[in-house]
Amino acid sequence: MFRWDQVWYYLFQDPNLYFLQAAWITLWISVVAQAIGIVLGFILALMRTSKYVFLVWPARAYLWFFRGSPLLVQVLLLWAGLPKIFPNALLPAWACILVAFSLNEGAYMSEIIRAALGSVDPGQMEAAKALGMRNNLAMRRIVIPQAMRVIIPPLGNEFNNMLKTTSIATVIGVEELTGTARDFGSQNFTIFELLIVATIYYLVLTTIWEFVQRWIENRFDPDRANVAIAAAQEKSTMKRLTGLGAQTAR
Amino acid sequence: MNTDVTTNDFEGSQNVEMVRTEQLVKRFGDNIVLNGIDFHVKRGQAVVVIGPSGSGKTTLLRCLNHLEKIDDGRIYIDGQLVGYREEKGRLVEDSEANIARLRSQIGFVFQRFNLFAHKTALENIIEAPIHVLRQPKDQVVERARVLLDKVGLADKEDAYPHRLSGGQQQRVAIARALAMNPKLMLFDEATSALDPELVGEVLKVMRQLAEEGMTMVAVTHEMGFARDVADHVVFMDKAQIVEQGPPEQIFGECENERTRNFLSRVL
Ligand SMILES: Nc1ncnc2c1ncn2[C@@H]1O[C@H](COP(=O)(O)OP(=O)(O)OP(=O)(O)O)[C@@H](O)[C@H]1O
Ligand SMILES: [Mg+2]
Repeated sequence: MFRWDQVWYYLFQDPNLYFLQAAWITLWISVVAQAIGIVLGFILALMRTSKYVFLVWPARAYLWFFRGSPLLVQVLLLWAGLPKIFPNALLPAWACILVAFSLNEGAYMSEIIRAALGSVDPGQMEAAKALGMRNNLAMRRIVIPQAMRVIIPPLGNEFNNMLKTTSIATVIGVEELTGTARDFGSQNFTIFELLIVATIYYLVLTTIWEFVQRWIENRFDPDRANVAIAAAQEKSTMKRLTGLGAQTAR
Repeated sequence: MNTDVTTNDFEGSQNVEMVRTEQLVKRFGDNIVLNGIDFHVKRGQAVVVIGPSGSGKTTLLRCLNHLEKIDDGRIYIDGQLVGYREEKGRLVEDSEANIARLRSQIGFVFQRFNLFAHKTALENIIEAPIHVLRQPKDQVVERARVLLDKVGLADKEDAYPHRLSGGQQQRVAIARALAMNPKLMLFDEATSALDPELVGEVLKVMRQLAEEGMTMVAVTHEMGFARDVADHVVFMDKAQIVEQGPPEQIFGECENERTRNFLSRVL
């Protein structure tokens, strides 16, 4: 039978706040890994668009590996392999997860960032140069801020994914949401109930993120021009889904 | 000829020549786009470059501030070698810092405006004076407002480029270039991306600049502007300067066949 009381207990009555703590671990691993991933992504994107072969090829090899093999395998490789290479290094499980997730995310972010940098009209760089800006200054003041507007929507997706993918951390014993549900649940045969608790926490996290993302998108949008466009698109999607007003619309 | 120097520049009298190219050659692959160009602009002169499409006018302007590398010859702006320095008789590309410094003294107005899309009109104008010339912000803002007023856009300082008409954008772009206090202005078909009814407002600003004694080179298809404003007209065709002289000569009794053909088509 289904133990509603267990769901209720771990959501609202647990004095030890196990799931809240687990959610916190999920959250901070996601945030830190995403942040490092963004920085790595910028470095890799700049390397890949560089004119020097000795920068381009390492970046390509990096992407080839991290996008070409499963994240779970990368985590396990790191977990099993590091002690072999550095027998004396004691890498805790959470650090191992953080490294693997950051490296992996860097590869995906670099693709997003490269595409965004490429989407900025080359005329912007030319104008900056013609005004006497050096390459770094022009990138920092003109190109990257415009690329940010293109980066942010897919970045939102990446982070949403990251929040959920942290569940992989459970395989090497990190007590994030999924691991906590499994461990507590297998003790008293309530794994289904506790997975529901974990799911609710995941949903809360991703929902909050959705709001944050919308707020960030507005901030990076001078003049809120794209808000109007987005609203118009949303409307037309609704129309398409419902079939309402399709004929009468303009 | 305009040899009297009206600028209050100290070195003004030493060097009446603002632009000098010597046997300038530029290729794109096998395509010779500039084939031995000797191009001269005197201080305070307004030079208009005309010629059929593909003759190399844009490329010439872009070489002048080293947006394009050159393959042979020399370019001097205000007596300084552009983009290169001589080492043991050979030309070596100059450092990024020197090239940037040179460009900061030359205003460039693009056919497609290229205003910074994420900045308002005012922010576009103050960007380079603050971050390149490192001038104090309040001073720069004050001057930017004067320039906006000068190009007739005092009320548009907070507008983003996409909210401005093409003519307004181009006038902001001109103000942005002027904010650097350039000693030379280059205009690459500043009006050809504009709707016909917006051309006049931009030409008016350019004409005013010429009257104030700004040294400028304008590539344009506006023959009326060339005739009225230019001190000197250069006609280019097939990677070469075919003919040049005062507008009365070019538009009046030009002897060259190709020039006459071109003019009969555009006038
Ligand atoms: N980046 C480039 N790469 C290769 N070829 C180029 C490049 N830019 C210009 N060209 C070629 O150089 C020649 C001269 O081009 P340019 O743009 O200077 O002509 P233009 O006189 O400005 O013509 P228009 O009146 O059409 O603007 C053309 O044949 C053009 O195809
Ligand atoms: Mg051109």
